Amino acid sequence: MLDAIAVVVAFYERARIMRITTEAKTATRERIIKVAAKLFAKKGWDNTTTRGIAAAAGIANGTLFNYFDSKEAIVAELISEALAQAQQEIQKRDDETLEEELFTFIWTELSSLREYRKFLAQAAETILSPLRRYAQESAGESIRTNHLEAVEQILVGHGMAAPSVVTMQLYWTLYLGVFAHWATDDSPKQEDTLALLDQSLKLFVAALPRGAGIHENESE
Amino acid sequence: MKTNLSDLIAALPQEEDGPELLSSIEAQERLQAIFADLAYKPVPVHSLHRMWTMGELSTQVALAYASLWIRGLFADAKKKERQAIETNLRVALKMIHRLGYLRGAAIKLGQAFGSLPELLPSQVVSTLDMLHAQAPPMHYSLIREVFRSELDHDPSDLFETFDKEPFAAASIGQVHRATLKAGEEVAVKIQYPGIGRAMQADLRNLMALIFPIRLSKSAATIKGQVEAMRDMLEQEMDYVQEARNMREAYALFAAADGIVVPKVFSEYSTSRVLTSEFIPGLNLTQFLAANPSQEQRDEFGRKISLVWERMYYAHTSYADPHSGNYVFMSDGRLGLLDFGCIQRFSPDDMRICELGEKYIDGRMTIEEMLLDSGQYAKSDIANEKYIAPLRRHMEWLTAPLLQEGPFEFGDPEFFKQGIDTLKEMVERVYPATSMYLYFFRSMFGLRVLSYRLKCRVDMGALRRQERKAWV
Repeated sequence: MLDAIAVVVAFYERARIMRITTEAKTATRERIIKVAAKLFAKKGWDNTTTRGIAAAAGIANGTLFNYFDSKEAIVAELISEALAQAQQEIQKRDDETLEEELFTFIWTELSSLREYRKFLAQAAETILSPLRRYAQESAGESIRTNHLEAVEQILVGHGMAAPSVVTMQLYWTLYLGVFAHWATDDSPKQEDTLALLDQSLKLFVAALPRGAGIHENESE
Repeated sequence: MKTNLSDLIAALPQEEDGPELLSSIEAQERLQAIFADLAYKPVPVHSLHRMWTMGELSTQVALAYASLWIRGLFADAKKKERQAIETNLRVALKMIHRLGYLRGAAIKLGQAFGSLPELLPSQVVSTLDMLHAQAPPMHYSLIREVFRSELDHDPSDLFETFDKEPFAAASIGQVHRATLKAGEEVAVKIQYPGIGRAMQADLRNLMALIFPIRLSKSAATIKGQVEAMRDMLEQEMDYVQEARNMREAYALFAAADGIVVPKVFSEYSTSRVLTSEFIPGLNLTQFLAANPSQEQRDEFGRKISLVWERMYYAHTSYADPHSGNYVFMSDGRLGLLDFGCIQRFSPDDMRICELGEKYIDGRMTIEEMLLDSGQYAKSDIANEKYIAPLRRHMEWLTAPLLQEGPFEFGDPEFFKQGIDTLKEMVERVYPATSMYLYFFRSMFGLRVLSYRLKCRVDMGALRRQERKAWV
């Protein structure tokens, strides 16, 4: 009987320790991301090393690798979290055209990344480069996939049956151009990017294949 | 209405001593190709294309004038310098070619340098002042972002109602109707993001390319004019400045004048967003389509001139009096829109105005006036062939003020005289202060309006009345 109680007590004790461990792990993970963001902003993307991040986070260099493979993985996580937050904020309207919905989606995303803009230009060169898109281990792959899935959903929502690979590649190319412009745009409140995004989307929508159910509904 | 571009280019004055430059066939063709291409090239935004085609004719004419102006820069350069100059010119032209939606700047350039109607048959005049919208249209999502960055709120939070569709195009943005929470009907003008800065950059680049190479005596004049235009463009881009202009103009008119300057709502306005009272009524085309009586025409014509005179004696000029800026209200009042283009007279400008007053009062001849302005040598003024076109145009400008009783502005003969004398004048280079650029454009715009209205106005009496009140 006593043994049984001891087993139950031991069980709960282990569960408690595991919970603490999980919480501690999550906290460490968050701390690494936060510290890294600060360092990227302060020292620049190129001058920040994983060693420096580990030191600033107060953990051993080896410990950091239990959480992230590289600084690219850290920044990718940072971006993913901001984008997920942005998705929550978007309020969809019933009367939006395809162009407007894409516009809102992209601009809300970019706005959520505004505080990281300084170092994102350099970071994106590595993690979002179209030349690395076949590298599955690329840290930016999940960002790209999630973003394109959201865009595909928007396209489908506006009556386009199945956007082709070409359509999506065209979109991604345009998007990266806008992203690159935004990351280095020093106009007041990035108003030049606002104009560029507006006109890029006009181009994109105009280039969509006819009969996709889009032009018929929205040309006027 | 199709125009032949080569006719337009051919109508431009030829250079007398520089056949190897732009008057050479090769250069002419190149210039022509660039301008033709520019006028027809669709902007890569499909909804904009429509507006652009509407303006084709005016675009071509304006650009023909831009080319005239650029050619004017070569008037007395030495042959040696020409090769270098031509290289720069080619770059400058390419640059004009590359202006995106900012071709508006090139058009304004052309317009300002040539007070357009002179090359055109009179029926085309009516389409000219329709050319105004150059900014791409904005959908509501973009407008919402402009509002968030300008006023920190969505339009739907700020206003009781906000029309998502624009009801008018402004030169560098668009206008939406809305209702304030307090119930007032308002017009909200919103500027296309970044367009102002981009236009400024275009102008700067153009000037940087053209002016260091200019060596002739007319360069200073032209430079002054371009600078005046740049200042005015800057003013038009800044809605805070426009709001100030509106408040000042508002204070100039009493209820009895029957002139309505819209009230500005500052708490909903920034440098890119301007919220003002909505003025219901007809535009000029709608007003004329309703077959107004002669009395109605005369009365609106008088009010349009009254506005101009009152502002003139308040040392400002309503510098862009095109028909889209006037509202013909059903109760007979005249509404004014768009105060982006208000010229404020400098002390130098005031001195020139004084000379003009003396001439109209008969206390000075045109020759004495020109001499006193300090910009003409005695020998220039003695040269009858040189000075006659200028005199004829000035006489045309002042004729309505000098006549006793109502002046018949609808007289086609009189209007044609103005076009002919202006054409004569443009063919020569006259020194002028930058003020003339807007002053003449403004006067000419007023004449075009009065001609279309076919109104009769006692300008002498109007001038005496306004002058008494304000000088």
